[in-house]
Amino acid sequence: MAKFAKTILLGAAGALAMTAAASAEPVELNVWTIDRQADPGYVYVMADEFQKLHPDIKINIKRVEFADWANDMMRAVATGTTPDIGYVDNPNMQFLSSKGALLDITPYLAESKIVDTSKIYPGPLSTITWDGKIYGLPRGSNTLALYYNADMFKAAGLDPDKPPQTWQELYETAKKLTDPAKNVYGLAFSANGNEEGTFQFLPWAQSAGADYDNIAADGAVKALELWQKIIDEKIASPDTLIRGQYDSMATFNAQNAAMGISGPWELPRMSKDAKFDFRVATLPVWNLGDKPASALGEGNNAIFAKTQHPKEAFMFLEYLYSQMPRVWNEFGFVPSYPVEVKDPKWPAAYAIFVESMQNARARGPSPDWAKISTPISTAIQQALTHKTDAKTALTEAQAKIDAVIKK
Amino acid sequence: MSALLRSVRDGRGFDGVLALLALAYLFVFSAFPLIYNIAMSFQEVDMFSLASLIRPFVGLANYQTLFSNPDFWPIMWNTTVFVALCITFQLAIGFGLALFFQQDFVGASYLRGLFLAAWIIPALVAGAIWKWIFAGDFGVLNYLLISSGLINEKIFWLSTPALSLYSVVLANIWLGIPFNMILLSVGLAGIPKDMYEAAALDGAGAWKRFFYMTLPMMRSTIGAVLSLGIIFTLQQFDLFASLTQGGPANSSNVAQYWSWQLSFQNYDIATGSAVSVLMLGFVIVVAFLYVRSTRQEHQA
Repeated sequence: MAKFAKTILLGAAGALAMTAAASAEPVELNVWTIDRQADPGYVYVMADEFQKLHPDIKINIKRVEFADWANDMMRAVATGTTPDIGYVDNPNMQFLSSKGALLDITPYLAESKIVDTSKIYPGPLSTITWDGKIYGLPRGSNTLALYYNADMFKAAGLDPDKPPQTWQELYETAKKLTDPAKNVYGLAFSANGNEEGTFQFLPWAQSAGADYDNIAADGAVKALELWQKIIDEKIASPDTLIRGQYDSMATFNAQNAAMGISGPWELPRMSKDAKFDFRVATLPVWNLGDKPASALGEGNNAIFAKTQHPKEAFMFLEYLYSQMPRVWNEFGFVPSYPVEVKDPKWPAAYAIFVESMQNARARGPSPDWAKISTPISTAIQQALTHKTDAKTALTEAQAKIDAVIKK
Repeated sequence: MSALLRSVRDGRGFDGVLALLALAYLFVFSAFPLIYNIAMSFQEVDMFSLASLIRPFVGLANYQTLFSNPDFWPIMWNTTVFVALCITFQLAIGFGLALFFQQDFVGASYLRGLFLAAWIIPALVAGAIWKWIFAGDFGVLNYLLISSGLINEKIFWLSTPALSLYSVVLANIWLGIPFNMILLSVGLAGIPKDMYEAAALDGAGAWKRFFYMTLPMMRSTIGAVLSLGIIFTLQQFDLFASLTQGGPANSSNVAQYWSWQLSFQNYDIATGSAVSVLMLGFVIVVAFLYVRSTRQEHQA
């Protein structure tokens, strides 16, 4: 691992040194991130290393709370005070690209010896592309998979080496594992009335052939009806409707849920909190042999159009991109293009997440994603609270989405 | 020139400068944002035209979008229920406590001080505490109710559509009681004691003293507390953010939270502004009543 990283570092340094020679004056780059400065803090680590390689470039990092990101970013764009480089959550990418807030880096990529965008997995690649041009580079990705408590499987007489492979099996297994007397639910997931709910629902619908632009299709209705059944029969907690993924998975770690659907960001906490044999499996499909689907999370590093130092900014972007082999072990992201990770942490889980990445589909991508996502999460909540049936709720969502994408 | 300078240093000019400073402050920090908000509600706004005042004028289109939204009336109704219930109970309980602590007993003032704790706690922290109390599976409230045998099955306070709004109401009542109590205590302290002594000598009982003396004397205070209470209740945002986020299915959504969702989650700033303009109109009416109620105080 160390040797491998070193080779990459040297390679990157060599390539960067050539471009760096051109700019002699000290340059300051303002970078916005959602990382914490305390452990691990992706951009903080990277900026330190990059500044050692390039003493003539100074990087100022500003941390933005993920929840405040849209708010702060909007204000910055409106007042022309955008940073040089910023983290952009992948569903927001096309919104910013289409409005001209981000720098088209296609010309720089043409001359880059480090970045080959053709290698990037289709999911993340679709989020950085707008109108045939590239507006950023993924810093890493994440995706959803099924976590399960192997000890509970054994206790219930189920084979822990055979996690459910179809959604129907998932439902039946969860039902068997549900034990109200012990405060155990079969499944933990999030049907929150915001982006998180949409994020969790789409793989269920997509593996049945539906998608955001075809959300009233039978497959999506079938998926939502199964969610209804899971909530109605209290196989998952009713609080699933108002709880995010991280809070939901805390109940899995506390052994109050036997299975849970979430991403790799859970692993550091889980390996501390979960006092049982937890395992990871790919998300189920409807019928064995179907094409699986998973969601795409995490975001991109993008350069803002107003930057005064596009060349230096791109150098930093290249450096970030070149460090992809480290992101799993150090920061818990799944690499966004195929890399060799020596001695990955949680090797079994890593294998599952890398496999899931092949099928991770971006939300949209669409420049109006926020206006597409809301009708979907609204429909989910309408159906789960039985204000309407699944078909009606999704048909209404489709009408609202059509009004957005067909305008 | 020197006359002008003298006037500014010590005279009418000085008064004018002071007034202008206050006016400038009000304009920059109150009037301008309000006008800006109202303007946005008649324009087509996206995040890239946020900083410029000149934007395409769309007339009442934003309001039409708003009124035709199927969530509009349910959310307005929720807002009405939220404000009405919160104000009624905050005022009634706050008044009761204020009267209680008006009595002379050992430690009255210390106990009254303790009630302020709820007022000091930031709403976001209060939200986290109430979330823990209301949690369906491991909440404190369910634990108490089940172990005392009052209920057999867990109640999902925050995720049951029929209950979620009332759970937030409960938390907000708790949060608002100290404010009501303190303001009303101040009002009560202002009523001369000898009036009650004279009334007691004339044979007026406790109820009569309350209805014919305390209540009329407290009219302007109650008016002020009511109007401020309505304004504060319409500002309540943190509790919604931390407890239910308006869900499930908008069953606990209110105008102020919805306006934020529209603007900053859907990036639909124009419609979000339209919601806040409607709220603004309502608050102006309340503020007008507030000013009226305090004006009467001067006459009395």
